[in-house]
Amino acid sequence: MKEYTLLLFLALCSAKSLTGPSYFTLKNMMLQDMEDDDDDDDDDNSLFPTTEPILPLIPFDLFPTCPFGCQCYVRVVHCSDLGLTSIPRNIPPDTRMIDLQNNKIKEVKENDLQGLTSLYALALNNNKIYKIHPKAFQPTKRLRRLYLSHNQLTEIPTNLPRTLAELRIHANKVKKIPKDVFKGMKSLHVLEMSANPLNNEGIEPGAFEGVNIYHIRIAEAKLTSIPKDLPSSLLELHLDDNKITGIEVEDFNRYKDLQRLGLGNNKIKEVENGSFANIPSIREIHLEKNKLKKVPPGLPELKYLQVVFLHSNHIAKLGVNDFCPTGRRKKKALYSGISLFNNPVKYWEVQPSTFRCILARNSVQLGNFLK
Amino acid sequence: MRRLALLLVLLLPACLAKPFHQQGLFDFMLEDEGSADMAPTDDPVISGFGPVCPFRCQCHLRVVQCSDLGLEKVPKDLPPDTTLLDLQNNKITEIKEGDFKNLKNLHALILVNNKISKISPLAFAPLKKLERLYLSKNNLKELPENMPKSLQEIRAHENEISKLRKAVFNGLNQVIVLELGTNPIKSSGIENGAFQGMKRLSYIRIADTNITSIPKGLPPSLTELHLDGNKISKIDAESLSGLTNLAKLGLSFNSISSVENGSLNNVPHLRELHLNNNELVRVPSGLGDHKYIQVVYLHNNKIASIGINDFCPLGYNTKKASYSGVSLFSNPVQYWEIQPSAFRCIHERSAVQIGNYK
Repeated sequence: MKEYTLLLFLALCSAKSLTGPSYFTLKNMMLQDMEDDDDDDDDDNSLFPTTEPILPLIPFDLFPTCPFGCQCYVRVVHCSDLGLTSIPRNIPPDTRMIDLQNNKIKEVKENDLQGLTSLYALALNNNKIYKIHPKAFQPTKRLRRLYLSHNQLTEIPTNLPRTLAELRIHANKVKKIPKDVFKGMKSLHVLEMSANPLNNEGIEPGAFEGVNIYHIRIAEAKLTSIPKDLPSSLLELHLDDNKITGIEVEDFNRYKDLQRLGLGNNKIKEVENGSFANIPSIREIHLEKNKLKKVPPGLPELKYLQVVFLHSNHIAKLGVNDFCPTGRRKKKALYSGISLFNNPVKYWEVQPSTFRCILARNSVQLGNFLK
Repeated sequence: MRRLALLLVLLLPACLAKPFHQQGLFDFMLEDEGSADMAPTDDPVISGFGPVCPFRCQCHLRVVQCSDLGLEKVPKDLPPDTTLLDLQNNKITEIKEGDFKNLKNLHALILVNNKISKISPLAFAPLKKLERLYLSKNNLKELPENMPKSLQEIRAHENEISKLRKAVFNGLNQVIVLELGTNPIKSSGIENGAFQGMKRLSYIRIADTNITSIPKGLPPSLTELHLDGNKISKIDAESLSGLTNLAKLGLSFNSISSVENGSLNNVPHLRELHLNNNELVRVPSGLGDHKYIQVVYLHNNKIASIGINDFCPLGYNTKKASYSGVSLFSNPVQYWEIQPSAFRCIHERSAVQIGNYK
């Protein structure tokens, strides 16, 4: 006890606290869209909220320290590029964002995220993660953004926090989006699942039931047709670099609000009549690098369509009414971008009035067909 | 005739609508709870001029997220109010002069994991507010000159950087964090006083390179120095002189066989010292008198004996912070030969890890 009293005395009268860069004031951009609740310690900007020697009565480490080699400031813990093989312990419990990218982490264990109830964003991309414990995310009751891209995951982790707004699992080994995997995740808005060996059968019926995702990207996968069971809330759908062979009428039945559609670099030969009538709000369609022989039908009816990429296809002829409406039917937005280069069609055979509803002359790229 | 037709097209103002603008598209990502149920409007209102969010990217709240898209260059027409631009995991080979023009409000630029080998000397000029620049995992041979003076954090891990020139860092008065690990840097490639111009530099990491000594002329503002995984063979006192703010020193996985007397005196506020996986034959001198040291890693060395005053001061305890971790396992020293009083100033028994020498 005598010793402790002395320590207290020493601490009070002499301990010079670490003069870290206490003015690291910048707000992390990644965090700017989160609710600013309980922000009582926003001025605690020290880079190292580690054990100050001012610890009367308890002479040993009680306060969590910043993991060695990491930087901790404004509740952001930076531990990228450290060669870590596991998630470090003693992460400050008030942490809102952890950057663990580019390490050698293999596993997210049951207690790795224990106590991190304020965690808002977790970047685990570019590791060697093949296993995530089903209870690992249980403590993270506020997690909004989870980055798992470039890992070895063979399935979407189960029991993800229902608070997630953004989930990125690019370049893993996921073959399946099982039924109910996103169940209850009402705020999930962005899903990036590209570069996984996913085929159409892998997307189980009901996988997206009850979720309101606005932006899905499943590019560089093994899709042969447009999946029909994606959420009906979709505004953006990106399926570039797949093996989709055609577009059928019922493909877009559910996606009435779609505004941007990316289907570049597929094997699309034909777009069935009436397919696009289901997506009246569409603004941008990318169909470049496909096998289309003609301009897809139904474009003039799309009042808001402004960008159509059709370059690098097999289009040999353009009809005068392929893009623009006739008569009094008005477009509500003029085309700002139509690309047609690298098609067999010869520009001198295109009627100028084909493009009577474009915004400016340079909105159309015809170019020459390179043999 | 055709020209006339085109002119007519241009003069067709009747159905003129404003260009496609994605503004508001991701406003629902605001963190209020009710946002989840917010449905997009039935009739999209096309409003406002301005650049579009690049196709396939996501733009919300001035964050432009364009990672994993296979992009070969920086997209054009980025919204000028962008504060964070994430371009990681693409195939960008070059940063060109006009790539970031207009991005006056950019605070953070993430270019990690691309194939960048060339950065135009004027590329960063418009970025007057850039605070964080992440260039890790690229093919850069050197850091660009003329980096924005506003920078607080520079990360260039895993590139092909072999030289660190003074001219590159000079005037970067706001830099706090500098991470240069896993680069083919040699000690001879670090210009004398290269870092001295960075008056606020607090954290520097040059791990997993080829340097053979602690760089000289480090700024006194430094609180963390991480030099693990190099080829450093000894610690000389001079290289640590003036580092009165240093709190964490990482030197594990080198080939350090000696620590010059007085080295630790030069870093009076050191709290954590990692010297594991080296060639040390004895405990570095100066620990006993050090006032603030709390963690000392000495495992995996060649320490054969431990003196009674190696860790604790002679006489009454003058330490202002107690040890919370001392690791000594995987050393030739036999634990039964260590006098228990060698650890007399350590209050928590579990703070010392001795272990057996295999």
